[in-house]
Amino acid sequence: MPYAVETRDLTRIFAGKKKRRIRRKRASSEGEDHLGPVTALDQVSIQIRDGELFGMLGPNGAGKTTLIKILATLLLPTSGQAFVAGHDVAKDPFPIRQRINMVSGGETSGYGLLTARENVWMFSQFYGVPSKVSKGRIDELMHTFGLWDKRDAKVRMLSTGQRQKMNMIRGFVTDPDILFLDEPTLGLDVNAARVIREYITNWVRSQEGKTVLLTTHYMAEADQMCDRIAIIDNGKILACDTPSNLKRMIRTETTFRLEVDTIRDTTSFTMMQGVKNFSHKNDIGTNRSHLTFILEDEGPVAEILSTITSQGSKVHSLQKSEPTLEDVFISMVGRGFD
Amino acid sequence: MNTFWRTFKVAAWLGWEMDSNWTEPWLFMVYSVVKPVAGAFILVLMYTVFAFIGNRQDPAAFSYMYVGNSFFIFVGSVLFGTFQVIQSDREWYQTIRYVYISPISYYVYIVGRAVSKVGVAAFAVAITLVFGIAFLGIQVHLTLEAIPLFVASMLLGLAVLLAIGICLGGISFLTAKHTHGLAEGIPGLFYVFCGVLFPLSILPSWGQAIGQAIPLTYWFDITRRLLAPTLGVDTTLAGYSDVTIMVLLVVSSVGFFGLSLLIFKTGEYFARKAGKIDMTTSY
Amino acid sequence: MGRSYPRIVGANREPSWIFFEALLPLLGIAAYVFVYQAFGSRAIDAIMTSTASAPWGICGDHACLNAAEQAAERARALANTNALIASVVLGGTMVAFWLNVLWSMASQLYWEKEIGNLQLYMMAPMNRMALLGGMAVGGMVMTSMRAVSTLVAGILVFGVIFQVVDPLMLLAVFFTALIALYGLGMMFASLYLLWGREAWNLSALMEEPIFFSSGFYFPVGGLFRVPGWGPIIAIIGSFVPATFGLDALRQLTLSSTAFGGQLWIFDVKTELYILVFMAVLFLILARYSLRYLETLAKREGKLTSRHQ
Repeated sequence: MPYAVETRDLTRIFAGKKKRRIRRKRASSEGEDHLGPVTALDQVSIQIRDGELFGMLGPNGAGKTTLIKILATLLLPTSGQAFVAGHDVAKDPFPIRQRINMVSGGETSGYGLLTARENVWMFSQFYGVPSKVSKGRIDELMHTFGLWDKRDAKVRMLSTGQRQKMNMIRGFVTDPDILFLDEPTLGLDVNAARVIREYITNWVRSQEGKTVLLTTHYMAEADQMCDRIAIIDNGKILACDTPSNLKRMIRTETTFRLEVDTIRDTTSFTMMQGVKNFSHKNDIGTNRSHLTFILEDEGPVAEILSTITSQGSKVHSLQKSEPTLEDVFISMVGRGFD
Repeated sequence: MNTFWRTFKVAAWLGWEMDSNWTEPWLFMVYSVVKPVAGAFILVLMYTVFAFIGNRQDPAAFSYMYVGNSFFIFVGSVLFGTFQVIQSDREWYQTIRYVYISPISYYVYIVGRAVSKVGVAAFAVAITLVFGIAFLGIQVHLTLEAIPLFVASMLLGLAVLLAIGICLGGISFLTAKHTHGLAEGIPGLFYVFCGVLFPLSILPSWGQAIGQAIPLTYWFDITRRLLAPTLGVDTTLAGYSDVTIMVLLVVSSVGFFGLSLLIFKTGEYFARKAGKIDMTTSY
Repeated sequence: MGRSYPRIVGANREPSWIFFEALLPLLGIAAYVFVYQAFGSRAIDAIMTSTASAPWGICGDHACLNAAEQAAERARALANTNALIASVVLGGTMVAFWLNVLWSMASQLYWEKEIGNLQLYMMAPMNRMALLGGMAVGGMVMTSMRAVSTLVAGILVFGVIFQVVDPLMLLAVFFTALIALYGLGMMFASLYLLWGREAWNLSALMEEPIFFSSGFYFPVGGLFRVPGWGPIIAIIGSFVPATFGLDALRQLTLSSTAFGGQLWIFDVKTELYILVFMAVLFLILARYSLRYLETLAKREGKLTSRHQ
């Protein structure tokens, strides 16, 4: 079975103009060389399975939007290949368009003289959604995304966030098999962003054969939502794996901190298999012990908890600290997000 | 076919909504009437001043000019209406990327969007002609027998215009936001070389050759022949029969349709290659 | 200065404007030139064609009496046709500036609102008229290209001859008319702050009536000689500075005796004084109307409403 999305050595170069090349010659003599042709994607090879919620994480200018544009058949690659639903994006765009949709974040597009509902309905008609079905979906989605009160407002009267919601509805109303979301929560308030993330996640999980490619530079969003994440910078894929595996890449240990009732016998902890390091501190004032375990993996946790409870002690809190995606990115690229 | 019809219908609806929804209906009606009549009035006044200083009237030349100018409203509206679809969706509404990636024929979408312009233009042409007949003494006389031929020539002329407009649309995939210059300039070519306001014989020989190579020249000629057969102003096309002109229009409609597909697809390809489908160029 | 920068640099980075804005509009002017040539050609044919009832042709509204009258009538028709053609060329030159004012300045605030920049400009601590002036100056680069190409084409292609007797007066009239026009454009710009696309369509609606009521393509003084509606249209047009500007420029380049001296509104000096008055008046009105309408637009929330 073909992948939902597959790219093979996909490269996209934006050529600079002649004047810029002259400026580049001048600039490069001054030690700068940033005005020539731009390699937005550099031999990118990824495979996204059916039913996957795939994330692409990277700073601004990394190539995320360029990749989405190629996959959405808006842009041709310079070299390499890209396939969506088994079809080549360069040679066979029409069958792809029947199965995809795209939503970009932070934008205010829309026909100002139409109402929100009319805007969305119109796009649904381009996808061949029967009008009655479309209207039902639009109503449901407007309720879900909190735009019901503004359904008959002209788009010019909507706020930025409301337009973004309208565009999200436009993306879902056609019930695509593959949905490209380019920073979909950009510019939205916390609540709205949360609703959208939940909806996207449920949409993928509750239906078979729905795939989402999500680009973002919000770590928490990628971590929370995605089955797998590709980290991209300067057009190159630096890593591609599940969020937990990515974090494991940079640290093989896991740190557990427990707060328990005062415990007397701690020798058994140091001799447990899988415990690389152990420290403890007793707090006489609260009658509690603070235990810190450095473990190779989470295997010994059950034994640790069993040992604690067998001594009649109660666990009041347990904290696990592990690397974040930002840590992963920094370790790979040497800098944070700009 | 179902996809084409659906796309056309929805695009036509959108075009009408865009054209008519910007103001109150009464102001829209006033605008639709005043603008074309005002456009014709420049010529009326040019003729009036000329007649005054020369102390001489030339009603045949005036009717020739007025009828041609009235039907030229189609040229400006259809050409502008067709190629500005891409410009407005790209620069103003910024919806082009979403329309483009939907499973429709973008070609048919543009035709649908332009159809509302054809409707509004037809209204404007009718108003202008009626005004001219009622108040300016324009000589128009369409016989019953000539109506089928007139309708056929109108349809063919509009088909040629739509095709030319889509050629321009294909080019505008790659150009910056200059709709105003294009709206004035490209129809200007036809204004000069197609015998709209004056006979081709006024142009130098190279200009006449250009005019005779443009199908709209024959369209204006046959329209005038059918509407105002008694003008008697030398058009340089007297040697062409009505049938010959209709055949020329059919052939050129087909030819321009093919050309429009080629230019449109080529423009689209290069725009997609250069990443210009959804560029913005305001400054 | 700051606002003219993107205009000039933007034009440089997208050079297709040279073709679309400078060269193609020449065709519309050429059409009007040929219209006058067509009228003139038919008039001369009527003068030179001998018939049984008019062996020496038709001189105006009567048959020519003899060869001398026929020749004089022919010469007069030719001179008038050439003067009308020169009027079209000069009017076409001014059209470029008028459209720059109407579409590039008056409408610009509307376009800025649509692309989301207007709120940034309004927040910045700068004079609104200076902002519009900068836009106008920036557009002047393109407009000057268009105007120069029109003039050169007119002179070379159509054989138009301009006889400039008083170049200083010509420059004074030209620049005063432009300042008055820009003042009018600034007043329109304030309307766009409030009315959005309605104002844009009204501007489009006004474009052609201004062309004929201001005499861009014919000497507007001719309208005063048309009984009934002629003077009404001419009076309406005289509120646009281009009317007096063009009339004065034509007198200075075609000589005041062209058209038998019958088609001018006032003499050049009087028209210059009127233009100076208009310039001052429009700039003052623009200042107050911009301020008032900006406040009104902010109150009604129309300063940032887009896609109207």
